[in-house]
Amino acid sequence: MLRKSLGALCAILVCFSGLARAAEAPKEIKIGTLYASSGNYAGVSMAQYSGLKIWIDRKNAEGGVFVKPFNRKIPIRLIAYDDQSNTATAATLYNQLITQDKVDILAADFGSVLTSVAVPIARDHHMLLIDQTGSGATFFSKDNPYIVLTSLPVSSVWPKYLAGFLTQEGPKLGIKRVAMLYATNDFNGTQAATLRDAIKAAKGAVELVYDNGVPTNTTSYTVTINTIAATNPDAVVALGYVNNDIAFLRNLQDSGIRFKWLFTIYPGLETEAVEKNVGAKGLEHVFTYVPSSVVAYRPEFGLSLSEFRAAWESRFPDGKVEFGFNSVAGYTTGLVLEKALASTDSLDQLALRKAIVGLSGKLKTIDGAFELDGATGAQVGEAQPLGQVELDEHGHLRFVTVYPPELATGKPVYPAP
Amino acid sequence: MLAYALLAGVIFGLYFSLVGMGLNLVFGVMRIVNLAHGDVLMLGAFAAFWLFNLLGLPPLAAAPIVFVVAVAIGWPLYFLFVPRLLRARDPEMLSIIFFFGLSQVVVALATIAFGTNERSIPGRVLGSGPVHILGQSYPAAWVVSGAVSAAAVVLVTLYLYRTRLGTTTRAVMVHREEALATGIDVHRVSAIAFGVGLGLAAVAGVFAPFMMGSVRPAMGADINITSFTVIVIGSLGNPLGTVLGGIVYGIALMVMQSYFSSWANLLPYLLLIGILLIRPTGLLGRTLRHA
Repeated sequence: MLRKSLGALCAILVCFSGLARAAEAPKEIKIGTLYASSGNYAGVSMAQYSGLKIWIDRKNAEGGVFVKPFNRKIPIRLIAYDDQSNTATAATLYNQLITQDKVDILAADFGSVLTSVAVPIARDHHMLLIDQTGSGATFFSKDNPYIVLTSLPVSSVWPKYLAGFLTQEGPKLGIKRVAMLYATNDFNGTQAATLRDAIKAAKGAVELVYDNGVPTNTTSYTVTINTIAATNPDAVVALGYVNNDIAFLRNLQDSGIRFKWLFTIYPGLETEAVEKNVGAKGLEHVFTYVPSSVVAYRPEFGLSLSEFRAAWESRFPDGKVEFGFNSVAGYTTGLVLEKALASTDSLDQLALRKAIVGLSGKLKTIDGAFELDGATGAQVGEAQPLGQVELDEHGHLRFVTVYPPELATGKPVYPAP
Repeated sequence: MLAYALLAGVIFGLYFSLVGMGLNLVFGVMRIVNLAHGDVLMLGAFAAFWLFNLLGLPPLAAAPIVFVVAVAIGWPLYFLFVPRLLRARDPEMLSIIFFFGLSQVVVALATIAFGTNERSIPGRVLGSGPVHILGQSYPAAWVVSGAVSAAAVVLVTLYLYRTRLGTTTRAVMVHREEALATGIDVHRVSAIAFGVGLGLAAVAGVFAPFMMGSVRPAMGADINITSFTVIVIGSLGNPLGTVLGGIVYGIALMVMQSYFSSWANLLPYLLLIGILLIRPTGLLGRTLRHA
């Protein structure tokens, strides 16, 4: 009798433990994110979103992503809404992803503007925000553990090499007078502040002769270019988003004004989009960041640049979403999540953060070396050297890395002919 | 620097006169607010982009084609939608809601069709090198776009003031019911004005890649705000007031960009508020006489 009862008890316990295990392991990992199919950030947001989708499609084709706490692969379900580049819409949708859809992982839309509204929302709900490309320095503080920046460095780190070149190499080349124009948003404003501080710290080696902001939705720069030219600068730094850079470079080309040294951000980041609108000739001798969509880093995890490019062209053959740095950024987010899920102790948000921070210095992807400031969650790796766009003998663009010296592949052309 | 900004403002203002002209013509004749105006401009811009890229057709050749196509589309659209709107108790409010919806549909379809990327046409197709005017240098593409805009404004003026159709159009603008009572075919006149309004927006779109850097499906919303500013400054319902509104807006924008660039995007709203507070009828508006 006792033996029968014990047997039944064991059977019930086994049965319950099995049920409990089944209940613990979710049928799917829900990743929630936003994208902008229209508005100012549509082109870049869709590129980032598409890069993330490539990673998800690949993982689901393999049966899902390995999740350590359940010791098995679990399929990923992507829940994504269109914020139309509108921050108010984005705020509502971030809330919806957290409170209604109850996503396991929350990833932000492209850039600082659309990420800015997610930061306080995620923090209030104790939800870790996977910040893909929102690099505004104000997002990261020691008292907010609910954010990590995955795919590019925090804005204050971006101009590290640009500032280094202008203050160290610039005076040797004859660069004394620097003009700086920036779009008034977190991404560009932070970079402008870093560059301004670096020039001040250089103590007279170079001076800022023009330092003004323009609204991010500016599309006409002819008068501004004329105003900058009137200050007779040796170097011009124009910090904007892709639409700003396209308008600036087109207006500059049409105006007939030539700057001896010009830096803009997006010829490197979204090369195809900028080249299509400005033309290869309009980009010749322009300085820019040399991002991971151009530099073929040797990844220790995930696809290489050429493999990813092939996967992109196979997945999006119509060319409506152009390949660029933000495509790489979206894919990199997926790789970081994959590594984190494979090492996290649980799906608890702070455990996920701990797992992501634990990847710092150990993960090398298509996007370069992943290094987080563990205290704030800001990305300090994936640095982008300074390069100059040149044309090869066939008129095709090529990037010459000019700074820092240890990464340089050539000498800068100054002044631009 | 000031002289450069002032002259640039006039050129830019002429272009924005063209941008606002169609919206004001439609409002003046039909008293409906076409919130899809900016999207028509966007479609004109994409038409020019594809005509240039597929057929090698330069913008100056594309402009008349785009205008004729827009007028041809506007005619049936008028009969399909506008008379129904005009029969409503509050046609202005209903038109705002209707055209807002239409705008969303157009943007969504354009995004599906063209993608989300920026598109543009090389500035050199409108002339290479800068053009020198009064000792200042301006992009040739700007000067040509400004000149085409001025020509379009002159043609609209001739249409309104030197043709029989224009006379009847102005009669409808003054009082739709009285015009109907005098035997004017109000719907025919309105349909033509509606088509011409769309055509002017589409022609403005042809030159948008040169004046606005590039074009994309969602550009219409910003264009609408600027268009409303321009026509409110000039005078709602008075197409020629649009020219003055455009030039005031253009000069103010360029001066702001030269001296207070960070604040330049506040300008449309400041001008709107200022005009509505100081002279609600616009600079060329006449005080309404109530019987």
